[in-house]
Amino acid sequence: MKKKPQENFYGAVMVVGGGIAGIQAALDLADSGFLVHMVEKSPAIGGVMSALDKTFPTNDCSMCILSPKLVEVGRHRNIRLLTLSEVESIEGEPGRFTVTVRERPRYVDTDKCIACGVCADKCPRKVEDAYNQGLGTRKAAYVLYPQAVPLKYAIDADHCIYFEKGKCRACEKFCPAGAIDFNQKEKVHQIDVGSIILAPGFTSFDPSGMDVYGYGRLPNVVTSMQFERILNASGPFEGHLTRPSDHKAPAKIAWLQCVGSRDMHEGANPYCSGVCCMYAIKEALVAREHAGGDLETAIFFMDMRTHGKGFEQTYMRARDEEGVRFIRSRVHSIEPAGPGSDDLSIHYVTENGEIRDEVFDLVVLSTGLEISPEIRELASKLDIDLDRDGFASTSSFQPVATSRPGIFSCGAFAGVKDIPQSVMEASAAYSASAALLSPARNTLTTEKSYPPEKSVADEEPRVGVFVCHCGINIGGVVDVPAVREYAKTLPNVVYAGDNLFTCSQDTQENIRKTIQEHRLNRVVVAACTPRTHEPLFQETIREAGLNPYLFEFANIRDQDSWVHQKEPERATTKAKDLVRMAVAKASLLEPIDRLQLEVNHNALVIGAGVAGMAAALNLADQGFHTFLVERSGVLGGQANNVRTTWNGESVPDFIADLTRRIQAHDRIDLLLEADIQDISGFVGNFTTKVKQPSGEKTLEHGVVIVATGGVPCSPQEYLNGESDRVTVWHELEQLFEKEPERLAACDGVAFIQCVGSREPERPYCSKLCCTASIQQAIALKKARPDLDVTVLYRDIRTFGQREDLYREARERGVLFIRFSVDQKPTVEKVDKDGKKMLRIGVTDPILGRPIHLYVDYLNLATAIVPRPVEDLAKMLKVPLNEDGFFLEAHIKLRPVDFSTDGVFVCGLAHYPKPIEESIAQAQAAAGRAARLLSQETIDVEPIVSVVDQDLCIGCGLCEASCPFGAIRLVEVPGKGYRAENISALCKGCGVCAAACPQKAIDMKHFRDRQIRAAIRAGAERI
Amino acid sequence: MSEWEAKITTFLCNWCSYGAADLAGVSRFQYPPNFRIIRVPCSARVSPKFILAAFRHGADGVWVSG
Repeated sequence: MKKKPQENFYGAVMVVGGGIAGIQAALDLADSGFLVHMVEKSPAIGGVMSALDKTFPTNDCSMCILSPKLVEVGRHRNIRLLTLSEVESIEGEPGRFTVTVRERPRYVDTDKCIACGVCADKCPRKVEDAYNQGLGTRKAAYVLYPQAVPLKYAIDADHCIYFEKGKCRACEKFCPAGAIDFNQKEKVHQIDVGSIILAPGFTSFDPSGMDVYGYGRLPNVVTSMQFERILNASGPFEGHLTRPSDHKAPAKIAWLQCVGSRDMHEGANPYCSGVCCMYAIKEALVAREHAGGDLETAIFFMDMRTHGKGFEQTYMRARDEEGVRFIRSRVHSIEPAGPGSDDLSIHYVTENGEIRDEVFDLVVLSTGLEISPEIRELASKLDIDLDRDGFASTSSFQPVATSRPGIFSCGAFAGVKDIPQSVMEASAAYSASAALLSPARNTLTTEKSYPPEKSVADEEPRVGVFVCHCGINIGGVVDVPAVREYAKTLPNVVYAGDNLFTCSQDTQENIRKTIQEHRLNRVVVAACTPRTHEPLFQETIREAGLNPYLFEFANIRDQDSWVHQKEPERATTKAKDLVRMAVAKASLLEPIDRLQLEVNHNALVIGAGVAGMAAALNLADQGFHTFLVERSGVLGGQANNVRTTWNGESVPDFIADLTRRIQAHDRIDLLLEADIQDISGFVGNFTTKVKQPSGEKTLEHGVVIVATGGVPCSPQEYLNGESDRVTVWHELEQLFEKEPERLAACDGVAFIQCVGSREPERPYCSKLCCTASIQQAIALKKARPDLDVTVLYRDIRTFGQREDLYREARERGVLFIRFSVDQKPTVEKVDKDGKKMLRIGVTDPILGRPIHLYVDYLNLATAIVPRPVEDLAKMLKVPLNEDGFFLEAHIKLRPVDFSTDGVFVCGLAHYPKPIEESIAQAQAAAGRAARLLSQETIDVEPIVSVVDQDLCIGCGLCEASCPFGAIRLVEVPGKGYRAENISALCKGCGVCAAACPQKAIDMKHFRDRQIRAAIRAGAERI
Repeated sequence: MSEWEAKITTFLCNWCSYGAADLAGVSRFQYPPNFRIIRVPCSARVSPKFILAAFRHGADGVWVSG
């Protein structure tokens, strides 16, 4: 695979910051032919996500989904990890940079450290634990967190007694590995890279300066990050819901939203932090789960901003099913409930103006996100422009490009964002780097080699069982030591052990060692679920010389401890049964050879809106021939109706530019007025039939990107369709542009939000509409300051820096009136003083009584709905969610992938989103696709059917039943017909094996005898 | 018979129902611990012989979902 570097570009990229964004960018780069230098300032990667307890909206355990990625980074041969390191300067130009990195000494030799923890145990100095947000202490010799990568201890020189007083060195004396090295010195590295991705992350707002909340003075006022640690199994209270003052379990908790956000006061931030509403809901739900349901929870908020995919539904569930109280009020102060009391009294004003006092045991401040002074300083050193809030300046059209060419950003550095969007941007930043450096791909990387596979054919099964506590996720319900002891009694088991986190890097090492020491030839892990973690353990045993299919999973978390939380004994019995079943099957497992497929290097992009165009251009720039298929005759999609982005950039100019570049690109085939008739094949080898007015075409390609878009719906409501004074989305501004005299004759204009959104039949929030209406309202006020402009809304969701627009609109005199979904506004046609107008009735929530507005025009912000794509989804074998949007493989960490390999999604087809998010997602999808296209061959799942032609009688039932055309009858001389499997098409469903009357077909890895062993073990009563 | 516990051998398709069972976990839906789940590549893999085998080995019920 080695190629000669072209244009002298370096085939390496530096990723600065080891949080989830940096991790994703690094993995994408390293998997597609680039060497990665990852620079992290702390002793371990993982960032903020590693410290979170759960992630919204699915409440997935944060560490459980992050840990496999940490491990992958830690052991990726094309990622060089530099911890305790910071970038000093960057010289050079795109394609050829030289970066100076300063690496602080760890005082621990990482090659020798075995992470036993003796140094920390013996260290006499206790230090406030910043990782636990100051809620506990650690030692001066420490590891950042238990699952840290690299799992190596470090000496904190700022607090070490030896560095303070010149003596102690207890750690050195007791370290069994001789790993402590006080002679280590700071190192300066000069590293050559082609581009740089900055992912330095954010810091949580420090509320110490806001004395009204008493943070720092009242022990039971904590920040949301502290509360994450309180909930976390590896946190200071081991996941038991505890308040700091007296370590008692709180019975009543309040969350205060917008602490340090949407606040014009000195020291606070004017923007909305975008994620706090959702994390507060998540924390309330998780806290209730920890408390067993008796917990009272209240969230004090201004506008509930649950605008992401699945967010509104979580909000509704919290409010209507889980009893979380939502109180629309900005709390002005927190006081002790009485002299000497640890409880807290909150004073607030209700919606109808009543002043209330309510006592809580614990108050969580939902602190916002901001850029730290250190990161601002880094940006200034590197000559990167920041905006006035301290975020990296980017254009909506190049959302991951910083002001300095060749340097890209991802994650919260360029604006507040949640995990999925950070992950999307990470893949987009990788994609932008790859487009720049594509000539240098595969010039500096090396390929992984595994030890030769041990033959196990003639050996008796020797099974090793690893039982996971998963923090308290399993161990809090299931008696893990009892399961481990039970496993030892099972046939063929020669080893059984338990681990706090079986997925952590040190456990992988331990599994490899155990395989050697106990000569294991089958491995069973009893833990979370194979759907997320099987690949990790398969990789681990492969590294120990075992075929990856000699592995079996017992799902004792998702399908046991989590669903039987109140029945620990029965859950333990079930866990034992599940382990017994896994061991029974594992004993019969056989090695399976790899199955490799050639990759066709063309791409198909479906839909030529902004997302599809951006994806196609990026792929073509990366060197891949791309078919861009569009059903209509024009490029640009919905964006053709948009004048400017939220921050004022011209969308028509951008579309014109994209169109020009697409038409001129020799690697893009544009197919307009094209209907997709059929898609067949599989990753690396798809065939698509397209019908155009000029005739039919057949396209061969290796990947598919779905960018089919969305459209505003047009419900029969508020006189829509019955009055020409009622318009939808951009129609009103287009009308005024065409006929300015209409605007000149206007007295009033109103907007109604959430038309067809956030209602029982369509529960999701369309995300864009608040910003779009406010932009239009501002434009009207600019054109006609005397015009009455009113926005009728339910919650204003101008997330992130869009909050500026909301503020500007109010300053310009736009009137905002809130309504509730059960008291929606009414609209009538009226004659007022001889003028045809609309009369809008709405109940003002502050006055509590109906009021009437007279307006000339009413513009409706209607829900964005997906295009009808059921047929396409079926052709691609990918799922849609209940709202008709495409459903990605994982809402947090795989936001553009499908579970079906080789198929990706971006733009409005995934969920309503603003243009810069569509572009970032498109670039991410292109990047993920290019990761496959850059390979010559790819490995596919070799779990396929096998035909024993001696037993086959050629009846053809299998051929008739196979839905994939993967089995056919062939003529065998002298025998008539015999069945034959076509492995590349086989999906491994096994219907042929079930259908075969002769038992001539069996499924690799799911053989009859293997399933029967599990059936027997599961049905037995022990 | 108060000690008696029904055992239900459960075949779940890897691509849908097995994922749904995981989702039940993620959502913390509580249900009785009587199911013994066997992951299959597709519900089509479940031969009638497997169902009979489950009953023969002592299962009180069989559930196939896919």
